[in-house]
Amino acid sequence: MATLNRRQLLAAGAALGVAGTSFSLPVLAQSGRKSVTLALPRDVQPPFDPLNRLSFPEGNLLRVVLQGLIAFKPGSFEWELSAAKRIEQVSDTVIEFELKPGLRFHGGFGELTADDVKFSFERAIKPGADGKPVLYSTDFAALEEVEVTGTHSGRIRLKTPAPALWQVALPDISGLIISRKAYEAGAYRADQPTKVIGTGPYLLKEWRPNERVVLQANPEFQGPKPGFEEIILRPVRDSKTAELAFRADELQFTAIEPANAADIAKIPGAKILKQDSINFVWIGVNVEKPPFNDPRVRRAIRLAIDVDQVIEGAYNGAVGRAYGPVAPGLLGNWKDAPRHARDVAAAKKLLAEAGVPALRAKLTLLNKPAYQNAGIIVQAQLAEAGITLDLDVQEGGSFWSAGNGEAGKNLELSLQRFGGKADPSFQLQWFTASQIGSWNWQRWNSPEYDALFAKAGGVTDPAERARLYIEAQKLIDESAAFIWLTHEVNVYALKDWLTPGILPNGDDQLYNRFSPA
Amino acid sequence: MRAVFGRVWRQPVGRLGLLLVVAVLLLGVIGPPLAPYDPNKLNILARFGAPSTAHWLGTDHLGRDLFSRTADGGRVALLVALSTIAIALAVGTLLGIAAAYASPWGERAILVVFDIVSAFPTLVFALAVVALLGPGLDKVILIVAITLIPHFGRVARAQTLSLRNSPFLEAERVLGAQPWRITAHHLVPNILGPLVVLASMDIPVVITIEAGLSFLGVGVPPPRASWGTLLHDGYTTLSQSPWPVIVAAGMLTLATLGFTLFGEALRDAIDPKLRVEP
Repeated sequence: MATLNRRQLLAAGAALGVAGTSFSLPVLAQSGRKSVTLALPRDVQPPFDPLNRLSFPEGNLLRVVLQGLIAFKPGSFEWELSAAKRIEQVSDTVIEFELKPGLRFHGGFGELTADDVKFSFERAIKPGADGKPVLYSTDFAALEEVEVTGTHSGRIRLKTPAPALWQVALPDISGLIISRKAYEAGAYRADQPTKVIGTGPYLLKEWRPNERVVLQANPEFQGPKPGFEEIILRPVRDSKTAELAFRADELQFTAIEPANAADIAKIPGAKILKQDSINFVWIGVNVEKPPFNDPRVRRAIRLAIDVDQVIEGAYNGAVGRAYGPVAPGLLGNWKDAPRHARDVAAAKKLLAEAGVPALRAKLTLLNKPAYQNAGIIVQAQLAEAGITLDLDVQEGGSFWSAGNGEAGKNLELSLQRFGGKADPSFQLQWFTASQIGSWNWQRWNSPEYDALFAKAGGVTDPAERARLYIEAQKLIDESAAFIWLTHEVNVYALKDWLTPGILPNGDDQLYNRFSPA
Repeated sequence: MRAVFGRVWRQPVGRLGLLLVVAVLLLGVIGPPLAPYDPNKLNILARFGAPSTAHWLGTDHLGRDLFSRTADGGRVALLVALSTIAIALAVGTLLGIAAAYASPWGERAILVVFDIVSAFPTLVFALAVVALLGPGLDKVILIVAITLIPHFGRVARAQTLSLRNSPFLEAERVLGAQPWRITAHHLVPNILGPLVVLASMDIPVVITIEAGLSFLGVGVPPPRASWGTLLHDGYTTLSQSPWPVIVAAGMLTLATLGFTLFGEALRDAIDPKLRVEP
């Protein structure tokens, strides 16, 4: 079993990237394998639009159908050129780019030009047809405009310096380039989900809801030929079902529960890939809803929970404990974050002071085994402090909309898990006031935090950025609305003839870099 | 009654069924008070324990005592089965009798409702109810009871139609008895036999439905034990310990087998055409 810790993983990123690249070169003819079936943790949901995507399954799909100016290398957060022939930061607020000529959108939508880049990026700073900003507008918050200087060249002008742009936007999903003509013809919208027009290595051939997504190699793609002619993505929500499908060779790649890794490694022809993750799992408390609007109640809940025991029981001790949203090894990780220990007596005292000695609360959580086990353990722990916790276990569709809009006002506690990226601005953006009603399920509103977050985004000195992000995390900690559990660990089962293309956070996968080994 | 049970006992299959039913009843009724541990008490360090003197059936993935949880799950299974059957039997019998005595239009309306309820898949109905009202033991009872009402209603209607013009009921009517008196004192006792047999045959069905809903996460909410949730938890951690699956699947098998054998023997004992005399 290959085991990498986070530091080794990040340090060895470049090497892995090179390895991944070399394996993804056209070896198809040698192996004879033309198709591979990969597991999705849930079905994709339209719209398949880079700036209005729901989450990473949609993002991974878009990543291979569309192209950005640059793209991540597998196994690392380093980037390489994609649609751009050249890209350069000429000053703190200007990035120049030149496109490769002859990149053609499939479906007869013509050549990819600098005007498409302008259209794609400036959508992030302009309200949509409904008057609302796109969902991922913060990724391009610093963008002023894209100036077209030629058919294939342009300048990205920024309002302020934005070092995070090179991590969370340009090489990632939000930086994917769509066709202006195709968009105006109705592509990338929820009502025409399979009309996703791009210049990437794959075409979205078919999407059968809750059954499969089929990606077919794009014959017009001008980059390295992808490893497989066809990739089938099958949504399998239950990890145990995915394991059984892997055993039956119905899947050749799937995420598995860490505790089952040793058992699955014994299957002939199987191998295990294990990597520390930079995702983050936590219990959030809605600070608007009484009695949780009282900080004493939130502190009491935090004091009543023994996180180490939760990790031991829910994850079989296979993951480390988190002390904040930014994982160790990343810029902005708060090494000296407080290690909140359990103190039931203090929790009871705080509840009594708050006037709610017999508190009843509801924890909303996803119906994954690890989260349900965590919920049961927290339920037992809170009971010892006099808090009756009801578990509201929901399936993916209803869970991920539980905090949105008006419904979010009724949330009390929620067990959440978000994916991480290399730049801390991605992890920390969800707790700004603008995310209330979207992803800030705690409904925590701190102008001071928002100001620190905004200021850090424009700082180019890494040490100063790290300091500002740590200051922001101190405010998060003071709110007592967040009980950090773990950064998780990513464990995958895959066939020994398969080389995967995975980024260090595990959620982000480069399907075009999956190849027969 | 004693004669009926005597006839059940004289059949080897009936005897086995009766013994299993009594065992399940004892487990559900006196098991929880006698259980050595709180069924929801966690002991993370003792998880995945094999059967031992401290934990007779081992421990689950959170270190909870499997015997205590199995007994508590048995109580849940019996509670759901008996209350569901009681509700479905009472409502179904009343609606069946009403359909038999109603005008053709009224009878048709009741039968159409039965058809609609029967045509609706139980699982889809359960998912809809849970989405609207949230999970809970009371919702499980409500869901299963509603799906079983047509079952009893149709049998009650057929039995009532066959007895409606019987001489003894005609005699009661001629003597001026009120309809409710005829129904309560003469009709119901005469149609109850087949309904009781049906109820005994439906108990394993209800136990299986409850376990199935709980297995899928739309039944009994955690941390309350159910044989379905025990099976699900064991299934997800099968590679760490087989005991939760063995225990939960074993209990479900024994309970459904016992109630099925007992129900069939009861049917044979009550129905003179099927009666097996030694």
